[in-house]
Amino acid sequence: MKLTLAEHGGLAAALRLGQPPVVLDLSTLPDDEVRQLTDLLSAARADPAPSGSARTAPDAMSYTVTVEDGGSQEVLRRTDTTMSREFAELLDRLRRLAVKGG
Amino acid sequence: MTRHLNCIVPPHILDRLAESSDAAVREAARQTLLTTARLRGQREVRAGLLGVSAPTNGRRSVFDCRNSTRLSNAVLVRTEQGHASSDRSVNAAFDGLGATRQFYLEVLSRNSIDDRGMRLDGYVHRGLRYNNAFWDGQEMVFGDGDGVIFTDFTGSLDVIGHELTHGVTEFTAGLEYHNQSGALNESISDCMGSLVKQWTLKQTAEQADWLIGPEVFTPGIEADALRSLKAPGEAYDNETFGKDPQPAHMDHYVDLPDTDEGDNGGVHINSGIPNHAFYLAAVAIGGYAWEVAGRIWYQSLRASTPTTDFAAFAQTTISKAAELYGVGGSQQTAVREAWEQVGVGTTVAARGGTKQAAAVIPPPREELVRQFDELTAQVNRLRSELLSS
Ligand SMILES: [Zn+2]
Repeated sequence: MKLTLAEHGGLAAALRLGQPPVVLDLSTLPDDEVRQLTDLLSAARADPAPSGSARTAPDAMSYTVTVEDGGSQEVLRRTDTTMSREFAELLDRLRRLAVKGG
Repeated sequence: MTRHLNCIVPPHILDRLAESSDAAVREAARQTLLTTARLRGQREVRAGLLGVSAPTNGRRSVFDCRNSTRLSNAVLVRTEQGHASSDRSVNAAFDGLGATRQFYLEVLSRNSIDDRGMRLDGYVHRGLRYNNAFWDGQEMVFGDGDGVIFTDFTGSLDVIGHELTHGVTEFTAGLEYHNQSGALNESISDCMGSLVKQWTLKQTAEQADWLIGPEVFTPGIEADALRSLKAPGEAYDNETFGKDPQPAHMDHYVDLPDTDEGDNGGVHINSGIPNHAFYLAAVAIGGYAWEVAGRIWYQSLRASTPTTDFAAFAQTTISKAAELYGVGGSQQTAVREAWEQVGVGTTVAARGGTKQAAAVIPPPREELVRQFDELTAQVNRLRSELLSS
């Protein structure tokens, strides 16, 4: 399974433009790390994206988490104003693992 | 929970639409105005119950999110009545909200964001290592930064002025946040954000740094700021995130897709063009930028609409300069020449998927009715939340 995180917008949107997304290959991670990640992913998925436009908050950021597993692909999109606590935890975990992995 | 009310149609337009010759438009506008008025009444009642009188005249409150992304979990840590906090971020946010409020009041005679004394709520320490600050339509939210590239966003006064100005724009022109109107929305926030800082430091246009967010980077990052109105495209050039992509002239307008990935058509990119026009006008006029250029830009914002593009806004500033300081005066000449220097003229073809340049074409009736319905639904949701809380 592969997880990709792309971040867009925000006050510093120009700096993020063209930056490569964070990519995590779960096969390279220890088992308990993978288990925690998949738990976070399930929790984030369980909270559906609220409807309505994200453009109500000009400098809010938006996030796209793509899950690739075998032939299937799933995309979760949230913004700073529409994300659940679980999605926020997933974001933070993905970013930290990306830093650790270099 | 729906935390904020998104005013799609600015109040002054609603007022005008309530007089429309079209019965359906008139009725929709009237209903929306009525619901909004009722809601405001409830807010005042609630404020009264809490022992606070309305209007609030921009009364400030700062909340600590304690690293949560849920604003509803934040705790109140500083009010107008209370003491300074031991937390530097809390005080910086409180002072920044105050400086911006005073700038609008004393320089532009505007009573807070909505010109009706709207309360100013700041939320600090939002999330973990959060690299951003934003205005969500109701309150201002600050991240601490990841400590690697970004640091605490409360440290930058022009950033606070920038974000609160998004609120002012929402209550006036309501510039749509994509393509040219979106880049203009961003630019207005940068111009006013910089003026808040210049006014606080009592700097002339010549003395000012014209930078947005010079304080948001960690010391290890080689960057002057997020953006520069004086030199768009030159705020940074480093290994970590490349070169500042802002253009300073229409010849270099960047066509990006109107998506999240494309920064809604490059709203934070192409803002460089009107930003530089403002800088050029202010420097040509001389003295304090907020006194003449700031006033012209603010009055032009008030006279703009959701779909105003660069050329239309340029035309409005030229008219406002004449209205305020005389036809053919040095101020009007400075403004006209500034727009010419960045390649924005009324004869230049509109770009960036924008609509008409100078003429204001009202949206079709069905679209207006749809917007009213959406707004009314939002107002009703918020109302039931207020009643049940
Ligand atoms: Zn902005």
